Amino acid sequence: MTAPIPRDIPLPLPAPEGLLEILLIAAFLVHILFVHLMIGGSMFSLVCQIRGLKIPDYEKLAYRIMQTVTVNKSLAVVMGVAPLLIINTLYAPQFYASSALIGDMWMAVIPLVTLAFLLAYAHKFWWNHFLNIPELHIGIAALETVLFLVIPLIFMTNVNLMLFPEYWPKVTGFFSAMLLPNVLLRYLHFVSATVLFSSLFFVWWAGRKTFRIEVQFSELRVIDVRRFFYAFAFGATIFQILTGLMVFVSLPAQGMSWGFTVLLMLGGLVVLPAIWWMWQNLTRPGHLLDDNFKQILTCFACAAIIMGIARHDYRENALADHKAAIAEKTINYQAAVKEAGEQAQLAAIKAKENDVAAPGATAFNQNCAACHHATLPTVGPALQEIKEAYANNPDGIAAWTKAPGKKRPDSMKMPGFPQLSDDELTAISQYILSH
Amino acid sequence: MDFPIFHIDFIGNRMLIAVDAILHVIINHALAVGALPVIALLELSGIRTKDPRWDRLAYRLLKIIFIITTTVGALTGVGIWFSASLINPAAIGSLIRVFFWGWFVEWIVFVSEVSLIMAYFLSWQSSARTPEAKLKHLRLGIFLAAFSWITMAIIVAILGFMMDPGNWMSERTLISGVLNPMYFPQLAFRTTLAMVMGGMTMICLTYLFTRNDLPFRTTVLRAISSWSGIWMLALIIASVWYYRVIPQHMLANIPVAVTTQEYVSWNSSLKWLLTIGLSFVGWVLWSSVRHPGQVHGAKYLASVLLLFAMLGQFERVREFIRKPFIIGNYMYANGIRVEDYPLLQRDGILQHATYAGIREVTADNKVAAGREVFEQTCTRCHTVNGINSIRGQLKTMYGDKPWQPEVIAAYIENMHGARYFMPPFPGNKAELDALSVYLASQQKRATAFNGAQTNGIPKPDKISASTVYGTLPNLANPHGEQQ
Repeated sequence: MTAPIPRDIPLPLPAPEGLLEILLIAAFLVHILFVHLMIGGSMFSLVCQIRGLKIPDYEKLAYRIMQTVTVNKSLAVVMGVAPLLIINTLYAPQFYASSALIGDMWMAVIPLVTLAFLLAYAHKFWWNHFLNIPELHIGIAALETVLFLVIPLIFMTNVNLMLFPEYWPKVTGFFSAMLLPNVLLRYLHFVSATVLFSSLFFVWWAGRKTFRIEVQFSELRVIDVRRFFYAFAFGATIFQILTGLMVFVSLPAQGMSWGFTVLLMLGGLVVLPAIWWMWQNLTRPGHLLDDNFKQILTCFACAAIIMGIARHDYRENALADHKAAIAEKTINYQAAVKEAGEQAQLAAIKAKENDVAAPGATAFNQNCAACHHATLPTVGPALQEIKEAYANNPDGIAAWTKAPGKKRPDSMKMPGFPQLSDDELTAISQYILSH
Repeated sequence: MDFPIFHIDFIGNRMLIAVDAILHVIINHALAVGALPVIALLELSGIRTKDPRWDRLAYRLLKIIFIITTTVGALTGVGIWFSASLINPAAIGSLIRVFFWGWFVEWIVFVSEVSLIMAYFLSWQSSARTPEAKLKHLRLGIFLAAFSWITMAIIVAILGFMMDPGNWMSERTLISGVLNPMYFPQLAFRTTLAMVMGGMTMICLTYLFTRNDLPFRTTVLRAISSWSGIWMLALIIASVWYYRVIPQHMLANIPVAVTTQEYVSWNSSLKWLLTIGLSFVGWVLWSSVRHPGQVHGAKYLASVLLLFAMLGQFERVREFIRKPFIIGNYMYANGIRVEDYPLLQRDGILQHATYAGIREVTADNKVAAGREVFEQTCTRCHTVNGINSIRGQLKTMYGDKPWQPEVIAAYIENMHGARYFMPPFPGNKAELDALSVYLASQQKRATAFNGAQTNGIPKPDKISASTVYGTLPNLANPHGEQQ
């Protein structure tokens, strides 16, 4: 199937394309990190709160986790502005098209995120008000988490759709775009990354010196909490590799290249030592959890950066031909615009020459023509009618125009024209009568 | 025009942006730019007087500011982008190309602002331990107030640019856009209005929060009222300045005489609202400084509402005077550049609209082709059946008489002459006829109008999938094959 080829915005890019691409990759990675911490925090807070029904210490933990969510969520939004700005700049024809095609859900992101944030605040700030009604409190937490999980799916659908212009004509509405190959698999891959990065974050967070004082457990040990998150991190890594492979297999061919494949493999390889170290930490009882934690973190950071570059590489591959065609069409269109503009200028000069012959024509067209047609009653009466009513009486037209009334019950009252001079009015009146 | 057309026919595209933007600007002015200095002021008074009530009140007010600005406030800001890129992608895309670095700096300031408000609010309790920490904390508040003003100062440059690109039309540089003649009067007006709005909003909330401690209420209300009163004087000066610069400047730019008339009437309604509003708010502030305990809360509330109304009217006039353009003298509100008009009027807009389903108007397809023309040229501002509906407009003009296509065509052809806010019709004669037939057909049985988010886009045809134009050579690739 062929892709529609729109034209680009005919203004130069504000910076070299390469610089914008580097900024995009970097800004996106920062944004998505905080998104992971926000969603993961919300999920873990919910999980801990439910566990807290049996083991009260987990409820304390849930509250502390929620405190990180309110910070991370604000950073997630504000860090998202830069990638959005750059995507708008670099991929205007694709991104605006895909956004419009899923427009209602895309717009719904705004109220949905607002609602999720307000629920997160209600969840956190009113913690003690809900002590006796845990069902309601957990309900709020669950709704907040569900919203946080739905929103990335909308984003995923949009950034996937923008990659494949040849799919655009097939899409009718959000759900058909969501069901395009690869979207749901990429989403699964995203959610497991959320669990992975947020649990790693909480392993570090629970290992801070002040954590023990902040949380004030009665029985639970900090090491248990960290082990709890470590287990999630390990499981999520395995899941991440599996979904990653599925995404790779199901990626549409448009963006595939050897460079991209090598990058993905590299990103996967970097994670392998981290898996080994995490396994060691988890399985050997008494083993210090901090063994190799920095190395583990470095592995995942490298993997994330490599994947970020690979992701951009795939996008560029997928859109290369489309971008080139757009650039070509834009240049040709601009030439056509120029040609037509010059033609019109010549025509305008000719029209001006004719205007000398009929004074009042310009003023008439500017002030009267919208409502008074030569033969048809449009908003006001037709010129024919006016000519009959004011035959040989140009002053009558001028006088009426200065202070119009309402003659006809079924039409609008004519507005006054105090800005027209007597000379102009006379010219217009004569033009009407002689026309 | 060169994007799939998103359209919501009930509330209308314009109203979607308007609701989002007005909400955003009210929150920004009343709860961020104008209110944060008041919070820092209250914290300072707490430090000076060593009376913990000041501190408690400041924290309570800040909590409300924090909750609203970091949810509805921040998201409606992003919402302006989302809605603008759905509704007029050509316009927002062009503005982004010009103002990219302005927006980038805005983003950095914005990150600082968000980090500062989190640091300020979340460290409030812990900073109370030592006087040094408290002073440091106060400094955070002052920085926060400054950054929230800077974000506004940058965005006002972009708004001013949309109204009148000034030298940008010839120079096309960022700085010439920023230094356009509207900038400083507008910034002065907004800054002072925001300060008074913020002060008044905080007065209202303080009135509510101190109902059980009347002596303290008197002291606090006097302090905030004096602060707001000083800004009130500045606001009066700024309004006068705005009035001396902007209308003349705008009037000089308006080509059509009738427009001048309408503009004067709109602007004078703003003038009246400003005069009445400023007098009332000024009077309330004056009484509040002299006898702070005796002013009834309803008067404060009325002042806040009046200030909101003034801001709303100011935004309406601002939006109004940029019509028929969305970027002054560069792009019309329909998303079509002024420069594109001769080509589109010569060949027809459907020939150049990538996502149109019909290219030629024939005797048989007039209603369907007219619908396409309507979609391309009218839907950015008009709906069929919703707000600012085309059915409503035609009904006002022709009532229940049968709507005649020829009459409608005759009107549309010249309407920009009398209805200054309307862009000229961008298509050719056949398309004008088709549009009029379509519009007339909507009198009795209007068909539902859905946008691309529901209908999708047509399969690409030769025009949509090609990169060359008519008989013109392929300039991008002169040696390549002709398509």
